[in-house]
Amino acid sequence: MDSKEQGVGPIYRPDGEKPTATVSKEVSYENVHVLPQTPQLIALLTMIRDGRTTRADFIFYSNRIIRLLVEEGLNHLPVVEQSVTTPVGRAYLGVKFEGKICGVSIMRAGEAMEQGLRDCCRSVRIGKILIQRDEETCMPKLFYDKLPADIADRWVLLLDPMFATGGSATLAVEVLKEKGVPEHRILFLNLIASPSGVAEFAERFPKLRVVTAFIDQGLDDKKYIVPGLGDFGDRYYTL
Amino acid sequence: MLADMLRIAAAMWKLSVKLKGSPGDDGHGGKAERWAKRVRAKPDRSPRWRPTRPSTLRVKTFASVNVPPVVYEGAMESVSPFQSLTPEVNYSPPWQDLSIIGIAGSSGSGKSSVATEIVKSLNLPWVVILSIDSFYKSLSPEEHRKAHANEYDFDCPESIDFDILVETLRDLKKGKKAHIPVYSFAEHQRQPQTQTLYSPRVLVLDGILALHDPRVVDLLDVKIFVEADMDVCLGRRILRDVRERGRDIEGIIKQWFAYVKPSYNKYVEPQRRISDIIIPRGIENLTAIDMVSKHIQRKLQEKSEKHTEELRKLGLIAAKVELPPNVHVLPSTPQFLGMNTILQNPDTQQDDFVFYFDRLASILIEKALDMSTYVPTAVETPQGNKYLGLNQNGTVSAVAILRGGSCLETALKRTIPDCITGRLLIQTDESSAEPELHYLKVQQGIEEHSMVMLLDPQMTSGGAALMAVRVLIDHGVRQERIVFVTCAAGETGLKRLTAVYPKIQVVVGRIENEGEPRWMERRYFGC
Repeated sequence: MDSKEQGVGPIYRPDGEKPTATVSKEVSYENVHVLPQTPQLIALLTMIRDGRTTRADFIFYSNRIIRLLVEEGLNHLPVVEQSVTTPVGRAYLGVKFEGKICGVSIMRAGEAMEQGLRDCCRSVRIGKILIQRDEETCMPKLFYDKLPADIADRWVLLLDPMFATGGSATLAVEVLKEKGVPEHRILFLNLIASPSGVAEFAERFPKLRVVTAFIDQGLDDKKYIVPGLGDFGDRYYTL
Repeated sequence: MLADMLRIAAAMWKLSVKLKGSPGDDGHGGKAERWAKRVRAKPDRSPRWRPTRPSTLRVKTFASVNVPPVVYEGAMESVSPFQSLTPEVNYSPPWQDLSIIGIAGSSGSGKSSVATEIVKSLNLPWVVILSIDSFYKSLSPEEHRKAHANEYDFDCPESIDFDILVETLRDLKKGKKAHIPVYSFAEHQRQPQTQTLYSPRVLVLDGILALHDPRVVDLLDVKIFVEADMDVCLGRRILRDVRERGRDIEGIIKQWFAYVKPSYNKYVEPQRRISDIIIPRGIENLTAIDMVSKHIQRKLQEKSEKHTEELRKLGLIAAKVELPPNVHVLPSTPQFLGMNTILQNPDTQQDDFVFYFDRLASILIEKALDMSTYVPTAVETPQGNKYLGLNQNGTVSAVAILRGGSCLETALKRTIPDCITGRLLIQTDESSAEPELHYLKVQQGIEEHSMVMLLDPQMTSGGAALMAVRVLIDHGVRQERIVFVTCAAGETGLKRLTAVYPKIQVVVGRIENEGEPRWMERRYFGC
């Protein structure tokens, strides 16, 4: 169950010269994509995991990881060939982005990822879903949603930074599917995931893609991700 | 042909000379005062020099310059074997092939005017006149008193520190930068600060004893002796000192017969014999000056041809190999390709161009940061869980190659908001394709930084990149700590750059066609 420690470093450095760090667990689901464990990403995660990191730094460094996640997520969207004549008159065979997208954040922590999304996709439409734990049943319950009217025609980037049991995310996906979004057009972006959450989710929604920066060691008895980083929403918004 | 495109000329070096302290009666024939005038009379040059304008730099000064002294570490590593290739890459940039012209002659013979005239007729961008007077030895209090009473001999070889001069010339000849002593004629002391001088294309060494020391003579490409009738020399000296300094004739004559004249016979005149060219009647002798500059031009042409040939060979070697492992081309993901398409589409609006450029550049910078050094760090999460992660080691800074490099700064600030950023303005002369260094402001302590990113949105021939890496190495940055970051680069340029500097890392967004002109910064800035 222990996470792997290994040398992390630029490819050009010999193995012995790479600093050792704990890297993401590997999972064998085709629809789960973990960001490349570069030293830079590990350093960013180290910053936001560190309890001593100030709120300003926490926001800054998590935004940087979120941008990397969004960039990776967007790569799963379709493109079509397009050739252009460059300003210097040469032909360049490139691609054009195809399809409309929108973001859906699971409140409140998911909203923290909106800035990173906007940094990569200007004027992107963003819907919101509020899911809270029902005190009586201990099950996640939908309290509120506001989504683009044409969401069924769009690719959806579902945003929630911490993916522990996957209860809220599962409910959010159900909401989206009810609105007519096909499963394969949903991309779930998160910073840190638990191995059990990811596994359950990947099996339940085999066509949906999960993009995460790191799969952690596991969950503690309070269902918090271990080692995790504390309460993301608190650290981003209030602490 | 490609090799021709990469004719890296010696760059221009701009030092604006500030005058500090006023020269008093220095007992030195009023030289200090005259130089002061010369320095003052020179208006501050605009940073955009036209290479067609003859521009000389007077290192001849006792004033300080506004270039911070930089520690130079070790020898330059411009000649390095290229990975596993068998033929050694022997590339020496033109500024490593300095031509030195020595001009000797009696005081008042018009050496300095001849030097200026030669420089003017050479019409080259980067020529420096170095006066031997910067190398005077510091005087003891007793000698200082004597100097003020016109009783100190400034005209004998013992008054000059030839050891330092030889060392300086040797450094410059090797392409290293040199620290020129700053001599105060008011105090007759060498000042603690030095003036930093990059190896120029041509250096004119001007001094009555420029051809005296055999070690100096060995380093000279052309040896010139300016001759004038001694009566004329004395006459000129008297006129100049009285007119410009208000000195009394007696003092001038006393010094002349006590030191200047004997020294001429003993040390100055014998230099005639070893000179290549004797210019009689000094500055008036336009025919001779014309001949001299033609001769120098011919020598430079030979060197330039040699350099072109070297680059051609380098190009041939480069053409044979795959991109070396230290060139990291970003993977062509759909998004990356799409952004590149938008950027290259002339129909893209300015604001879209800026947006997608910044987005693409952010990915490049993130990639570059992977090249930095990290150390393992254990941290504790707010819940008290331990995590073994990494911490970036040391300071990461950047140097933007202007104007284009500043396009990458928005992305840089997104990644490191307070990134220390130095600046180099390198402009490529369109007619000759030679890069020229117009401005340089490099961060203090850059040699200590764990990584220095060199930012340039586009690299074609690699000329500007070669020059920029060289400047960083000159400032003590170790080659393996340099990461060159560019959005698009040509293959030959990349191979050239990494052949010359095999230890740097290069992060490239896209490999572009050969010989693509620079256009990205024009799109980004909209002009």
